[in-house]
Amino acid sequence: MSDDVATPSGAGLAVDVPEQPAVSAALRSISKSFAGTPVVEDVTLEVRAGDVLALVGENGAGKSTCVKLLAGVHRPDAGHVEIAGARTELHSPLDAQHNGVAVVHQHPGLFGDLSIAENVFVGRPLRGRHGRLDHRRMERETGEWLHLLGLDRSAATRVKSLRTSEQQLVEIARALVAEARILIMDEPTAALPGHEVDALFAVVDRLRSRGVAMMFVTHRLDEVFRLADRIAVLRDGRLVASKASAELDRGAVVRLMVGRPLSDLYPVSEAGVGEVALEVENLSSPGRFEDVSMSVRSGEIVGLAGLVGSGRTEVARALFGVEPPSAGRMELDGREVELSSSADALEHGIAYVSEDRRGQSLVLDFGILANATLPALGMVARAGFVRRRDELGLIERLVSKMRLRFRDYDQPVATLSGGNQQKVVLAKWLATEPRVLILDEPTQGIDVQAKAEIHRIIVSLASEGVAVLLISSELPELLGMCDRIAVMREGHIVAEWDRDHATQELIAAAATGADDDDAGPIETGGEAPAPPTREATRGGRIGAAMADVLGRREVGLVVAILAIAIPVALANPRFLSGENLAAILTDAGLLWILVLAQMLVLITRNIDLSVGSMVGLVAYLAALTVRDHPGLPLIVVVLMGCGLGLVCGMINGATVAYGRVPAIVATLGTLSIFRGIDHLIAGNDEVSEDQVSQAWIDLTSHTLFGVGVLFYVGAAILVVAAAALRWTAAGRELFAVGSNPDGARLIGVRVDRRILQAFAVAGVLAGLVGALWASRYATIDSRAATDLELTVIASAVVGGVAIFGGWGTVAGVALGTLLLLVIENGLAFARVESLWVKAVYGIVIVAAVAIDAYLARRVEARAGAVL
Amino acid sequence: MSVIKRRLLQWETTLAAGAITLFLVAAATVPGFASSINLSLAAAGVSEVALMVVPLTLLIIAREIDLSVASIAGLASVSLGVMIERGVPLGLGIPAVLLIGVAAGALNGALVAWLRLPSLVVTLGTLALFRGLCYVLLGPRSVSVLPEPFTDFGISNVPGTAVPLTIVPFLVVVVIVGVMLHRTATGRRIFAIGGSPETALYSGVRVQRMTFWLFVLSGAVCAGAGIIYTARLGNARADNALGFELDAVTIVFLGGISVFGGKGTMAGVGMALVLIALVKNVLGLNQVNGDAQATVIGLLLIGSVLLNNLARSISERARGRRDARGRAAARSSPKPG
Repeated sequence: MSDDVATPSGAGLAVDVPEQPAVSAALRSISKSFAGTPVVEDVTLEVRAGDVLALVGENGAGKSTCVKLLAGVHRPDAGHVEIAGARTELHSPLDAQHNGVAVVHQHPGLFGDLSIAENVFVGRPLRGRHGRLDHRRMERETGEWLHLLGLDRSAATRVKSLRTSEQQLVEIARALVAEARILIMDEPTAALPGHEVDALFAVVDRLRSRGVAMMFVTHRLDEVFRLADRIAVLRDGRLVASKASAELDRGAVVRLMVGRPLSDLYPVSEAGVGEVALEVENLSSPGRFEDVSMSVRSGEIVGLAGLVGSGRTEVARALFGVEPPSAGRMELDGREVELSSSADALEHGIAYVSEDRRGQSLVLDFGILANATLPALGMVARAGFVRRRDELGLIERLVSKMRLRFRDYDQPVATLSGGNQQKVVLAKWLATEPRVLILDEPTQGIDVQAKAEIHRIIVSLASEGVAVLLISSELPELLGMCDRIAVMREGHIVAEWDRDHATQELIAAAATGADDDDAGPIETGGEAPAPPTREATRGGRIGAAMADVLGRREVGLVVAILAIAIPVALANPRFLSGENLAAILTDAGLLWILVLAQMLVLITRNIDLSVGSMVGLVAYLAALTVRDHPGLPLIVVVLMGCGLGLVCGMINGATVAYGRVPAIVATLGTLSIFRGIDHLIAGNDEVSEDQVSQAWIDLTSHTLFGVGVLFYVGAAILVVAAAALRWTAAGRELFAVGSNPDGARLIGVRVDRRILQAFAVAGVLAGLVGALWASRYATIDSRAATDLELTVIASAVVGGVAIFGGWGTVAGVALGTLLLLVIENGLAFARVESLWVKAVYGIVIVAAVAIDAYLARRVEARAGAVL
Repeated sequence: MSVIKRRLLQWETTLAAGAITLFLVAAATVPGFASSINLSLAAAGVSEVALMVVPLTLLIIAREIDLSVASIAGLASVSLGVMIERGVPLGLGIPAVLLIGVAAGALNGALVAWLRLPSLVVTLGTLALFRGLCYVLLGPRSVSVLPEPFTDFGISNVPGTAVPLTIVPFLVVVVIVGVMLHRTATGRRIFAIGGSPETALYSGVRVQRMTFWLFVLSGAVCAGAGIIYTARLGNARADNALGFELDAVTIVFLGGISVFGGKGTMAGVGMALVLIALVKNVLGLNQVNGDAQATVIGLLLIGSVLLNNLARSISERARGRRDARGRAAARSSPKPG
């Protein structure tokens, strides 16, 4: 890489482009069935070096399966995969990667909590001395790739603060770093029209000239003809054509896809246009859009074009009451309204079909009927009771109008195709009998047939007098359906034409600002930062701000500790005595080990509620052993404790990782089980101080510089853990697992194994603590170490470990624990009853989480802000 | 009947079968089990946990959780004790304590619904906070001088039956809430919130408001549970109902409520409650107490989820086959229209 810095078009890729493009990868006569149904039959596809193949077909045609077969996610039932002419068996996505295949997804499966550099190198990290991960080198190399791809962000930025389009570029960077010779893109432009698509295509061109073989799957026929050298059409699992794109045209491709010519792609409304149904004036929402004014008449279809991020969806959300604007007026049928929730909007007759079908339009577990009646529950319930008869009455007619293909009304919508799902969504909104219908990318990711049907429905709605606002990135769709088209750019409406005057070029130019002579960023004033330019300032600023935020956690904890320590010390100087501080640190030792154990589990998006019980169980057994076998070397007892902890941890880990029992349930169970076993073995027995050897008690009572040995043991373990988490692949993978378990699986991380290991290590640590506990507290019965769970989890949470996985630092954990100990100790010195400790802990936990949430929301807001 | 309903019913039936089997076996092998006194005691023993479980079920279905249920009950118990000690009449004391429960629930609700904080951690915090307040209010003391009608309620049965009075509130509440959950629009909305909070939000469900009120309901009901516990035990102590949240959560998960929200039935939870009550009773009769009982229940919990997972993966494979066949059929013969 270093010798190619002068010409940054990528080292490590094939340089010579042969005359006859070599076949880099192929599916030969591939067939694949799922649960007995053939999904792909006898398909042969060739992806050639320096050549772009477009794979098109309706939903369910088998495109996605072909991609997965090449990517190693599935194995063919018949036929085989070829890489560079050699028959290859791909057993996993990792296999495919090793063979030079890389996939860029429509919804990037990156690790939000990890940095860009880590994401780019995940699974294949660069190592430095002693096998340590070399983060600096990874960040440097990533920076170079990002520059090549036009992504102006620091390589240390956490991916979750990036927009979807930026994340896709990170996926491409990852493919390039992996020296992929075969790049497959699955609907890569679905989330990025216009300007950002051009950037992507420029990258594709560059890769083409380097001899990379490319295949992309898409529904967008314009892009197919713009980019592809060859086109392969799938229909119902079979390959119906594979030709040079010069030999085909749109009509031919569509015919091949659906099997019959589609005569009228866009229906036209017969009815006229009525009064103004929806009018907005000077609508503004800082950071999202500003000064938006528009009107929609009943019977009219108004289109809203613009790039992703131009603010269209934000405007729609404001109109629907989900994100009320901070300024401006909204009028429905001439009367002013202020909407503060979607329920409000529904009451006023506004419906919004979201662009996020699976996440915002459907409850995937619900059946068709339940989904379709959700907003209209008031209409199908009498005295609050839902009546199925009424539900059916409301929906049946709509469902048949949509020509929905389904089995029965309670069929879970997750089993429907994308097009049919969207029909359910439309039926749902039509059931509310809206006056105004806002559609956000309604035909995205839907096959041609279903698209046509949805267009028909929209037009028929308009003929019935509904005012329709159509947000879309497909220019032909806008031009074909809309009476008027408005264009948004960077939060403002910049142009508007009626149907006779609008053209694709005009719209695209307005959306990208190419028509604007003075194409500088639009200033918005106020607190919103200037919009992003191609230069690095914004990325740098965000990176710095984030480092700020992250750094602040540890700083904040130190501040909090001081905030308590200082007043207490002023009230009672003995608080700061060497003796007291030593006592705090010694207490910290054991607790640190436990909180670390909890952190390891929390990072992987799990939790371990059984830690206290493990400690108690091991403590008793260790004490018992020392009492009954006085000759046994103490180190053996300690090791035995660790071993026992390991067994307990593995039980937890296996139950969670392989038994698929959620961690909270599993460890709730083992909490009782371990405590119960403890009780069973111990009965009413109590091992007291005089029954065990002095050496045993002395084990933990040594001091070094006045501080107990336990402090040093704890600190040492923390240091080792911090190093392991930062510099070993296993450590980083824990974060990956917690941040995105499915994504981790896809890139070859052994997720289940890592989770098992996390629980196992936590168990060993708990076992160690148990043995040391028995030595420290001398008198042990079956009640030892009860009630530790709260302190441990509280310390972790206060220390900044994300309760949902993917994030946490050892320093934070150490400080969090110290804070809680200082509070407890401080309260005692301030003569506050120890009874208050628990209550104070509770307040501290809530405060810590509240601060976390506030900070996280600020980061997200910056990432999502348009202006 | 739909596939989902069928599968859910499977779990409830399994639980019911388990409970019935256990009952019959115990009746046959454990002396004194099948006596009305014993069964009455068994029911009384779970009166409080039973009440706690009902709103907790709603919350878990809605993808939240309330770990502070037992602490609210404890706080209610302690508050009532302190009030009685100061001479406050029951007629004022009980409503006041219920209001305290409402306030506690409102705090949880405000933090989770309005401040959008994760409920697991928030209620872990309020678990500590409310329990801490118990200790602050009462310390190590206990209030055992309680009005006679109150303690009578705690130990008496419904006249003419062996049904303890303390379980009656639960019986009433569970029926009302169960019907609400499964038959009304509100219940459907709760399932929607759990199934997909965003979709619910975009479908006109007032998610924040409903979540808030669910926590308030939990607070009120748990305060009621605390009052009942005080009556039954005959005293108010700071550690009353300590640890009950584990039992409550166990019963809800055992009852088939999905950890991820959006699925489950009140009937299942009811069955799980019966099962656990029976298990505890049988173990107690066999001199297995306290922590050892907890072990069995822990095993039951894990075992049940493992079994459930196994059953679900089997039925999902079967459904996949059926759906694929359906899709193939639909492809070859599109619906007319």
